[in-house]
Amino acid sequence: MWSLIALCSVALGCHKGDRVVVGAKNFTESDLLAEIAAQQIERRTGLTVERKLHLGGTFVCHNAITAGQIDLYVEYTGTAYTAVLKHEAGPGSDSVRQAVAQEYRQRWNLAWLEPFGFNNTFAIAVRQADAERLGLHTISDLARVAPQWHAGFGYEFLNRADGFPGLAAAYGLHFAAPPTAMDLGLTYRALADGKIDVIAGNSTDGQLAALHLVALVDDRHYFPPYEAAPLVRNTLLEQHPEVGRALRELGGKIDDDEMRRLNAMADVEHQDLHAIAHDWLARAVP
Amino acid sequence: MNLIRFYLDNGREVVGLVGQHLLLVLVSTAIAVTIGVPLGILLTRRPAWRGPVLGLANVFQTIPSLALFGFLIPLPFLGGIGARTAIVALVVYALLPIVRNTYVGISGIDPAVREAARGMGMTDGELLRIVELPLSAGVILAGIRVATVVGVGTATIAAAIGAGGLGVYIFRGVAVVDNTLILAGALPAALLALGADGLLGMLERRFVWR
Repeated sequence: MWSLIALCSVALGCHKGDRVVVGAKNFTESDLLAEIAAQQIERRTGLTVERKLHLGGTFVCHNAITAGQIDLYVEYTGTAYTAVLKHEAGPGSDSVRQAVAQEYRQRWNLAWLEPFGFNNTFAIAVRQADAERLGLHTISDLARVAPQWHAGFGYEFLNRADGFPGLAAAYGLHFAAPPTAMDLGLTYRALADGKIDVIAGNSTDGQLAALHLVALVDDRHYFPPYEAAPLVRNTLLEQHPEVGRALRELGGKIDDDEMRRLNAMADVEHQDLHAIAHDWLARAVP
Repeated sequence: MNLIRFYLDNGREVVGLVGQHLLLVLVSTAIAVTIGVPLGILLTRRPAWRGPVLGLANVFQTIPSLALFGFLIPLPFLGGIGARTAIVALVVYALLPIVRNTYVGISGIDPAVREAARGMGMTDGELLRIVELPLSAGVILAGIRVATVVGVGTATIAAAIGAGGLGVYIFRGVAVVDNTLILAGALPAALLALGADGLLGMLERRFVWR
């Protein structure tokens, strides 16, 4: 009897069709959303889920899913639009989601499912004290004081199609010196410690509030929307439609504040990702 | 091929970054020698300090550079962002081989030689200058050589704190997944390391008593 069960489980384990591989990019939010997706698939479908989290940047995950090494990961519409599909950022990209969904289906047979409901855009952030003292609310306000200020940006933001050069042109931003290129994680601390005055963080980051930083409003709509959504291989959805049904249940369940709160639980309070995902699913998608 | 075109198109920037990189390594190694060699000599005079000092240098060596930068940013004189912070970190990483080799070189001298020198009436200073340092110069220089060569590689992390250097291409290449860019930074850094190794090797052979 036991050997029969063992044989069955081995046979099932070997059969790739019954195993779903979930990937993630190398930052907390991507890991967290992948864990939520993984647990949702496990509890709704009974399929075995293999986790390949914290893989690398956008391009690593993109190559992994197009090569079939992973079956799904969470991608951002604006990132796919500018960084993967190489479209120009800027006005007129309201229909980013439709454009991205269509091109991904045609080129790689990949499906964009329901977005989670939040927009993780670039947060052009300043110290809260500065914002209050100088009445800064928007990036246009920033352009006023920029000639006396110093900026520090991560290498990705400085070099992306939807990054700093375009932003500077859209708002006429001129800083006292060319922005300092440095590690993204260190920019937060350098800003909080007063070594630089402006950074480009992630708007759903848990650290912004913890370090008393505020994000300025993109009043000229330079950045495309960066809606997070599960990106899944269509072959998997055809073999196992229940995976698609399970993931669609997550659509619209996480707004900006909720994502910030979940990220802060991981990054500021250092809680376990598995536990955060488990508790959130039990509460929000019973 | 892409790499050659990249260098042709960005010649001025490449030269600037190589210059920054060399300056970072030269300044940090010079400071590390100024601190490390006297510290190593001190350890031969105060053997009880050997454990804690070398232990501390060992621990410094294991701190990840980004974590070290994180600690350094708020500090008033050593910290901030830019070249100064990068140099502080590079000095911290260069200390261990210099201190250790100075200590090992001097304490490895045959005690009979030292006693003979004492017997000739040498003071502590004379003993150091005339006997110990010349006899251990090879080992000390080997330590400085290791520190420099490793420093050329480590200096690429300076780009994480806004201090420039060849790491700029590596960080940029990793951010946008462009292998040509990564190579554009890594290749000259490797050549610089080989060059530094060869140069200091020549110096070593010239100084060592045979």
